[in-house]
Amino acid sequence: MKFRAERDALLEAITTAGRAAATRGTALPALTGVRLEVVGDELHLAGTDLDVTIQVQMPIASGDAGVCVIPARLATDIVRGLDPGSVSFEVDDNEARIAAGPTHYAVRVLPPEEFLRLPQPTGDAVTLAATDFADALRQVVPAASRDEARPILTGVLMAAEAGGLRLVATDSYRLAVRDLPGTSVLQEGQTVLVPSRALSELNRVLAGADQVTLRLASDEASFEVGTTRLTTRLIEGDFPNYRQLIPQSYPNRLIVGREPFLNAVRRVKLLAKDATPVRLTLRSEGLELVAVTQDVGQAREELEAKYEGGEMVVAFNPEFLIDGVEAIAGDEVQLETLDALKPATVRSTENPNYLYLLMPVRVS
Amino acid sequence: MSEATILHADLDSFYASVEQRDNPALRDRPVIVGAGVVLAASYEAKAYGVRTPMGGGEARRLCPDAVVVSPRMSAYSAASEAVFAIFEDTTPVVEGLSIDEAFLDVGGLRRVSGPPVDVADRLRRRVREEVGLPITVGVARTKFLAKVASGVAKPDGLLVVPPDDELGFLHPLPVQRLWGVGPKTAAKLHARGISTVGEVARLAQPTLVSLLGRASGRHLHALAHNYDPRPVQVGRRRRSIGSQHAMGWRPKTYDDIDASLVAIVDRVTRRMRAAGRVGRTVTLRMRFNDSSRATRSHTMPRSTAQTEAILRAARSLLRSVRPLIDAQGLTLVGLSVANLDNHDAVQLTLPFDNHTDALDAALDDLRDRFGSKALTRATLLGRDSGLQVPMLPD
Repeated sequence: MKFRAERDALLEAITTAGRAAATRGTALPALTGVRLEVVGDELHLAGTDLDVTIQVQMPIASGDAGVCVIPARLATDIVRGLDPGSVSFEVDDNEARIAAGPTHYAVRVLPPEEFLRLPQPTGDAVTLAATDFADALRQVVPAASRDEARPILTGVLMAAEAGGLRLVATDSYRLAVRDLPGTSVLQEGQTVLVPSRALSELNRVLAGADQVTLRLASDEASFEVGTTRLTTRLIEGDFPNYRQLIPQSYPNRLIVGREPFLNAVRRVKLLAKDATPVRLTLRSEGLELVAVTQDVGQAREELEAKYEGGEMVVAFNPEFLIDGVEAIAGDEVQLETLDALKPATVRSTENPNYLYLLMPVRVS
Repeated sequence: MSEATILHADLDSFYASVEQRDNPALRDRPVIVGAGVVLAASYEAKAYGVRTPMGGGEARRLCPDAVVVSPRMSAYSAASEAVFAIFEDTTPVVEGLSIDEAFLDVGGLRRVSGPPVDVADRLRRRVREEVGLPITVGVARTKFLAKVASGVAKPDGLLVVPPDDELGFLHPLPVQRLWGVGPKTAAKLHARGISTVGEVARLAQPTLVSLLGRASGRHLHALAHNYDPRPVQVGRRRRSIGSQHAMGWRPKTYDDIDASLVAIVDRVTRRMRAAGRVGRTVTLRMRFNDSSRATRSHTMPRSTAQTEAILRAARSLLRSVRPLIDAQGLTLVGLSVANLDNHDAVQLTLPFDNHTDALDAALDDLRDRFGSKALTRATLLGRDSGLQVPMLPD
């Protein structure tokens, strides 16, 4: 096989496909590589770690049909370093020859027969606006767990809800819920659990795109953005019943400006070391944030806020609090709570489509 | 130069000595505690080469006349408590190392109790008369030397390392006497013709580091030069809380092993909650049929003492080593939780799982009131729950 292509286009394609390649020790060394196939006047690239597959197509200037698999990291680094302009690529005798101008590489290829059969998209196609979907992912994906000991929570729940699409993720300390009204992807009552890692990768692919086409099959989901397709295995199992956790009403409600609140938490957080929380004192005169780390020091900030309810102190992990407040659209944040040991909710005062439920830190 | 005031007191062949004390027919005879794996051997049995841990079959081949007895953990716990009571009565500065071993600092007691050597002598006599057990005591200026001294003086001995001739005591000893020198390190040193502590002391630190690695090289260099500034620490906080179950060589299914693990997690998490501690790193320990060992660990995103969260991590570690277990057979499974924190700021969890914290608290309360056997899991019914090895308080 051989082809000629522009470096910039090749770099983007190989970087995107390479992100799905397996990173370390796997039974199939070929999975640490990117598969390249010349089909007519196109190059088809693919990377996979068995869970997530990314396929990319790009035009080439000229080429002879054929397939090869090259180490993903190495190939990405090589192409990135080449001078802009035309790159020639040719496989001969188990070596890939990559050349641009005065630079020549010969790289041992990986056995292509070990590469996984590439997934073919199945299921009905639904097209969504890419920016809305990307916003929703940014709000929800960070709340998913990264602890592989509990695989269900490493997924993001996609559910049909009241004629729209709902995304939910939790790591059992906080829970993010985002509704996309009017977007019907699933049948009413149907749910799927998509690995959050796949959605993080998807979010990179979505940057700058207009539309994303989604297909759901029984055990996998695929997302097409332009000439890039990401396919992911779905997680099996039942997502925890989160609805019962969201209280219908709260006795204590704080309303505070989003930016000033974020800045205050970020400043005070500097003195919340070693997993110590930030304490919020809620009272009608306003909000006070305090962090104290033994043997290090303390920080305190007072903030203007509207508060209805009894005076109380509640403590949160500052990272978790920032994640929730950052995800809110709008200028004002509403923080509601029952007491210092029950889940609190964070949402926008204007936009009802996003809700963040956060468990406090119990302090003695 | 300061005075030698640190005592290292170490009960001799502890489990076996308790058996010989309680059954006169066993005295002066080789005794092995534990049928599957040797948990302890009397000095008479050690003379035949019996060691811990060793397979029961191998031990009986080495010493066919040995009497093999089953362990009685409650008797050992009671004996340990009685001995520690004598330690506490001797000096307020006691640092327990395990159930049969402690450092005592008797400095400052001269006016009340006399010089350290007299205190040590009296301590040995009291343990012999009041608890009926032999104990060896090493006395020195540092913890390290006191421990080396008790090792040299065993069994049933007393040895004082005079502060003005510490190197004279230390340097002729074989390298295995140094803390942290096991068979592998000893073999590396022997291969270079180094067999005594004095020969280690003559090597430059960089030479030792290149031979043994950075940490061990520095450690041995310091010890060989008798540098050990650590004081005796009262009530030293544990860095991990754990438990294990020796299961012998009989064949066992994956479910048997899982059940043992469940029982261990129940015990460990209950102890953690009782001590008010939470941990992040769960380590699974295994010993296989060929006596080789392996560990696997997982660090959770947050500290916890929840039975369910720790069991989940433990089971996922066990699943990951299943091929190894199937291939090699398991004789011991253990679990410890490290990276411990005090329970004073705890990230609460969303109550998805039937109020896990409330369930743990209710079970702890029932077991505190009616005993640890009052309540068990259905999966553990009719199973051997494993030996509850006595431990120091958390």
